[in-house]
Amino acid sequence: MGAGHDHHHHELEPVDGSWRDEADDRPLSVARRRFLTGMGVAAAATAVGAGTAAADQTPRNQWNSGDRWYAGDHHIHTKYSPDAQYEVATQVANARRYGLDWVVITDHGGVAHQKFSIDQVAPDIEAARRQFRDTLVYQGLEWNIPGAEHATVFLPPGRHTVDILRAFEAAYDGGVLSTPVAQGGLGKIQRATSADGEPYALAALRYLDAQVFAGRAEIALMLANHPARRGVDSPHELRGWRDTAPDVAIGMEGAPGHQASAITEANGGRGDGRGFYEASPGVDSFPGYAPTAIENPYRTYGGFDWMTAKVGGVWDSLLAEGRPWTITATSDSHQVFGDTFAPGTQDHATTGSRGAPIDSGVVQQYGDYWPGQYSSTLVGARSRSYVDIMRGLRAGKVVAVHGRLIDGLELRVRARSDGDTRGVSIGGRTFVRRGTDVEVTIEVTLASRANFGGFVPKLAKVDLIAGAVTGPSADRDAMTAPGTAVVETFAVPAGARGKIRFTHVFPRVDRAFYLRLRGSDGKQLDAAGNPLMDVPGDDDPWSDLWFYANPVFVDVI
Amino acid sequence: MVRWLGAVCPPVDGSAAHVDHVLLSTVDILAADLVCTHADHTGAVARTVMTARLNHEPTAAVLAELADRLGLPAVWVAGPPEGARCVRFPGQEALTGVHSAAEIVAASAIDEVVGIGVAVDSPIDTRGFLRPTFTEGRLVLLVEQAAGGVLRPVEIAAPHQCCGGH
Repeated sequence: MGAGHDHHHHELEPVDGSWRDEADDRPLSVARRRFLTGMGVAAAATAVGAGTAAADQTPRNQWNSGDRWYAGDHHIHTKYSPDAQYEVATQVANARRYGLDWVVITDHGGVAHQKFSIDQVAPDIEAARRQFRDTLVYQGLEWNIPGAEHATVFLPPGRHTVDILRAFEAAYDGGVLSTPVAQGGLGKIQRATSADGEPYALAALRYLDAQVFAGRAEIALMLANHPARRGVDSPHELRGWRDTAPDVAIGMEGAPGHQASAITEANGGRGDGRGFYEASPGVDSFPGYAPTAIENPYRTYGGFDWMTAKVGGVWDSLLAEGRPWTITATSDSHQVFGDTFAPGTQDHATTGSRGAPIDSGVVQQYGDYWPGQYSSTLVGARSRSYVDIMRGLRAGKVVAVHGRLIDGLELRVRARSDGDTRGVSIGGRTFVRRGTDVEVTIEVTLASRANFGGFVPKLAKVDLIAGAVTGPSADRDAMTAPGTAVVETFAVPAGARGKIRFTHVFPRVDRAFYLRLRGSDGKQLDAAGNPLMDVPGDDDPWSDLWFYANPVFVDVI
Repeated sequence: MVRWLGAVCPPVDGSAAHVDHVLLSTVDILAADLVCTHADHTGAVARTVMTARLNHEPTAAVLAELADRLGLPAVWVAGPPEGARCVRFPGQEALTGVHSAAEIVAASAIDEVVGIGVAVDSPIDTRGFLRPTFTEGRLVLLVEQAAGGVLRPVEIAAPHQCCGGH
């Protein structure tokens, strides 16, 4: 792990991860900030240039940087969503109970949320921060991306955070944009998901970028949620977000929430599609995602979104361009499996809240888990601070894990014959001479304790996946990376305990490539070792556990 | 003589099943035996287009009434495009329960039942909702594994709607 991506900002940050002087709002100071930030932005822009003759060949995310892993969840709902029910404090208390260090509160955007909910959730979040001092609680939004699916948008706490979120939602939420003026919306696009919204999505991301540029926020991030669920996140939209604001639009849920939704009705579940992935193409869906005899993009595979789960699929087609796109795992917690609470009786449309939930005394049929109960997004960060966790996410130091399948993961990629003894880690980028050997060392800390399904999960295998970096795709709707494949599968011996180490060498590399890891409990695999399409209404999420680690890019110079 | 009539559908909110119901009510005066929908992506905003198969020549009065209901006139088209989704087809009414693939093909206009990564030798629980699609000129019903050892169509009547389906 390392803080390489942050390198460009170091000289701008005299104290404590922040160069921004809250007390100093003099125009001169603003101009100076803009100048300094501009330098940072320019440097970052060259850094993401797909490694094609980039001037900056500083390794990013260097191994053994002293970073630590912090588990979190960037997708959590409360009673301020029309389809959810819990108090903020209840969600945070459960996140803490299930081992999370950071959470993002992301109620659905829309007219009522923008007008009524923001002012209510902000003080609740502040109260939760005071009540749970060891848990970072971010204020965010589940943005209806105009023309597409939902996304998490969030910022670290700051003087302007709520104002930025409020203005962002008022101008750019797909629900607000598509709601007629007479009903309090903007009436500018036909539907939240219709293609006339796409330019608004890009403008929205530029707006967030500008807030950081202007010094009103330290950092702002966007992650696309449940990207393949309804087929409305086309490949060109994903590329458009990433390329418009690469420091803001950083990735997507590799695994959606609602992981309890496919538990059979006999076992108290809803018997729906896992992740509530059970849709089929609609009018705004990307035609290329239509189900075929071979696959159904509208379903999860091993609990992960098809874009991520398919080797050589959409995620790989983005990575093959040489640009990071980070995947996560979240709870999307609205209503929790096995819980007896039902929504309050308040009218959300007119008050922005459903009111306090009511204990019905009867177990309800719900499809979600508490934050951290099943899904974790592990982020490598320099410290347990709001800005550092977000920087870790932006740097791609991220592992998505289900059911606590592993306790830890170290990945080290280096070219020792090139004189690089240190190497880079997850989410990183290294630069090696043509013809050198690239050595990959994987160290997995196997699960040593019971997960929240009540058993110690057993990792069966780790796949090392790699593919050529082929540069920016001429076809913005490209959705495959034919050159990406599993290059080696490491079996975990039965009875293995503690740490287990695997190595692989890419000999005499002659062109840029990337590599990534995934691991499985091995219980539901096809003949090629890939995850199976999850069966609606008949899927025990605890007997189909996976982890996915974000890529390392190897540039050849 | 078989002809196909095409028209842009007026926007309707709600589940696919509800939208289909509204469409079929709108075109009931045509007495079409096969009605399809597809997404037309040629404009800035996608829209749903209907194609209806007629085995007779509709009267001018019927066409005028249809134009009135749709808000614009229908036009004669070559047929539904690849991937069009079939909302009504011959034999549909008889297939409301659990049937084998052979029964479905024998009893309806569906030419083939195709499993996604699964053989179609288990019974298919239609749940009274079948939306086959035109694939290379043939009407194909895609099915997938479901709970309880049965298969089910990949399109279901009421998929879970998050946040009111925003």
